[in-house]
Amino acid sequence: MNQDERLSILKDILLTDEREYAQKVEEKLKIVEELVNKQNQLSDRVNPIIEERLNDFVIEIPKTLGPVITEALKSEIKNSQDAVVEALFPIIGKMIKKYIQQEMQILSEQINAKMNNAFSFEALKRKFKSKRTGVSEADLMLQELVHPIIEQIMVIEKGSGIIISEYSKTQAIDEDMVSGMLTAIKSFAEDAFEKENQELNYIEYDSFHIHLQNFSDYYIAVIISGSYNALFKSQLEDKLLDFAQNSINKQDIINRDSFSEKLKKHFQ
Amino acid sequence: MKVSKKIVLLGYFGVGKSSLIRRFVENTFSEDYKVSIGVHIFKKNITIPEKGTDVSLVIWDLEGNDDITNTRLSYLLGTHAFIYVYDVTRPATYKNLENEINFLKEKQKNTPITVVGNKEDLVTKAYLKQNSNDFGSLTDFYVSAKTGDKVNFLFSNLAEALIK
Ligand SMILES: Nc1nc2c(ncn2[C@@H]2O[C@H](COP(=O)(O)OP(=O)(O)O)[C@@H](O)[C@H]2O)c(=O)[nH]1
Ligand SMILES: [Mg+2]
Repeated sequence: MNQDERLSILKDILLTDEREYAQKVEEKLKIVEELVNKQNQLSDRVNPIIEERLNDFVIEIPKTLGPVITEALKSEIKNSQDAVVEALFPIIGKMIKKYIQQEMQILSEQINAKMNNAFSFEALKRKFKSKRTGVSEADLMLQELVHPIIEQIMVIEKGSGIIISEYSKTQAIDEDMVSGMLTAIKSFAEDAFEKENQELNYIEYDSFHIHLQNFSDYYIAVIISGSYNALFKSQLEDKLLDFAQNSINKQDIINRDSFSEKLKKHFQ
Repeated sequence: MKVSKKIVLLGYFGVGKSSLIRRFVENTFSEDYKVSIGVHIFKKNITIPEKGTDVSLVIWDLEGNDDITNTRLSYLLGTHAFIYVYDVTRPATYKNLENEINFLKEKQKNTPITVVGNKEDLVTKAYLKQNSNDFGSLTDFYVSAKTGDKVNFLFSNLAEALIK
């Protein structure tokens, strides 16, 4: 065997296998290629269908599943109403606080704006009056806007919300229902502030301010129209505290008539 | 003489508490009160001539609860009389009757409780008789907010009892 022959044999051995191998690989590749092509063709055809279905699904879901979910949610909320309310309480409480803070802010800004206009004749007059009476200029300004007027005073038993005594200049509202509602609102709000152990002492209703002064067995609700300012509030508080301390005894709480008599005398 | 009494209605959702009150009372606290605090207040004046007394019933309609222990307790304070309502056609509304009544008795001691089965119009007398065991000895009588049967009696009876 010469060199060439040996090389040929070697080539044969090596290349035959390789060719066969290469052919096999090629065949496999073809199959894969076809498969891929087919799949591409398939997905070209299927994709739009799936997409359309998905779109339909998105459109249909609120119509079909929506009511079911809403219904389930509704009955869940209904069944666990108290849980919902409990969850909302702290939020409502915070909202109320935030709102009050905001309103106070706005008010004080408005007052400041007016105070800055210090060179008007009105302002000068107010300055003198403030010096003379010792009432702050801001409060005088508020008083000028609208005088606070006491529309009605109600002495209300805590818990039951039953009127113990009542005094009003004009009989306009049904005091039994109002006192019940005030008591319910008060209980509700106080539950909201439960952790802080606060008592509600102010409610706004329509254009009325309702000042609530709390005592141990009863509270006094004073319904005020016009402006309700810090000066008026403090005077009112003094008057109510003075009334409760010096005019009222345990007997009066049972005897409505004597309570009413004293109330009238004190606030006329 | 004029006296005011606080009446609280209790019972499951849909038993007809609000309907009973509506039957009896025409005026209510303005419905447009925005905040829902789970109670509506109604009022009805009743004159009791024999006593020369006007009684103002201040009626608290508590939103239904499927478990009395979830009731806001501060709403029960100072109550002069309870009316507990169930629906004679819905066993779920009276199956816990005894527990519910006991709960009330415990939370608000010495307060009278009138128990009524409402929607009497939907069933026959025979049905009521047959099921009287289920309604128990606690039931005082049956009423119907729909026909108005015994609705006035329910409230005026209570008013009279309260001023004795
Ligand atoms: N047939 C009949 N239906 C009633 C009667 N009382 C109330 N209903 C109905 O029962 C449903 C619930 O009444 P509602 O007063 O709202 O119940 P509440 O949740 O206890 O206040 C309403 O659809 C009423 O029309 C009754 O005496 N007879
Ligand atoms: Mg109702």
